[in-house]
Amino acid sequence: MSIFSTLEISGSALAAERQRAEVVAANMANAETTHTAAGGPYRRKEVVFSSSGNMPFRMMLANFRTLGFHPIPAVRVARIVDDPTPNVMRYEPDHPDANKEGYVSYPAINPIQEMVDLMSAVRTYQLNASAVNASKQMIQQALDILK
Amino acid sequence: MNDISNPIVQMLEKFLTLASQRHTLITSNIANLDTPGYRTRDFDFRGELRRAISTEDPVMTPIARAIPGLMERPDGNNVSMDRESLLMAETQLQFNIGVQLIRNQFQQIMTAITEGSKG
Repeated sequence: MSIFSTLEISGSALAAERQRAEVVAANMANAETTHTAAGGPYRRKEVVFSSSGNMPFRMMLANFRTLGFHPIPAVRVARIVDDPTPNVMRYEPDHPDANKEGYVSYPAINPIQEMVDLMSAVRTYQLNASAVNASKQMIQQALDILK
Repeated sequence: MNDISNPIVQMLEKFLTLASQRHTLITSNIANLDTPGYRTRDFDFRGELRRAISTEDPVMTPIARAIPGLMERPDGNNVSMDRESLLMAETQLQFNIGVQLIRNQFQQIMTAITEGSKG
């Protein structure tokens, strides 16, 4: 484990948070989408993060034997899941996607929830960016010993 | 052991190694701020430093343990943004101190070299 691995760890978090912000953007962009390739309205998506240190004991032991230490976990997006919240039905009889009773099913997207999620992603991104800066400063200082 | 690599420099080297290892752990905790089920990991810096200084061997990577007594969120994650930010600042300053002290040691040797030639 070296000081340079900190940059990789923070980098993995930056990538994960960026993907989370992208998913939020997709949710907001598709808030009124009633028609998708899969049929039916758009379904709200959510990211699930997973720590890369989450591994079976056997793998952990093998890693420990080869590396001599336990790797420090980075983060990654494990999967993107559909929100199971049922669609919202709105009465719009003139809409082409309306059913027989005149109701259109819209994705259940709450703009406030999305904004809060986006804000949280941005703040975590900033926190990790400042961690990158701290690591860079430490590497620079270590180089300054040579001066 | 010679004058250039004196015990103080060796001690400071271990100090810097431990500080950068702790920094890596803190970075990992911050990276996993939103990972469900992730537990904050850290090691006892003073204890590890004392152990490292007491031997001649190079520093072993300390075993990081889950930290008890932190508030856990409903998703099983217990990373505290404040704790990690503060610790990161602290570790950075510790590292800075170590670097300055090592530079000071080398400066002293340099002074001995240059002043000797002035005679």
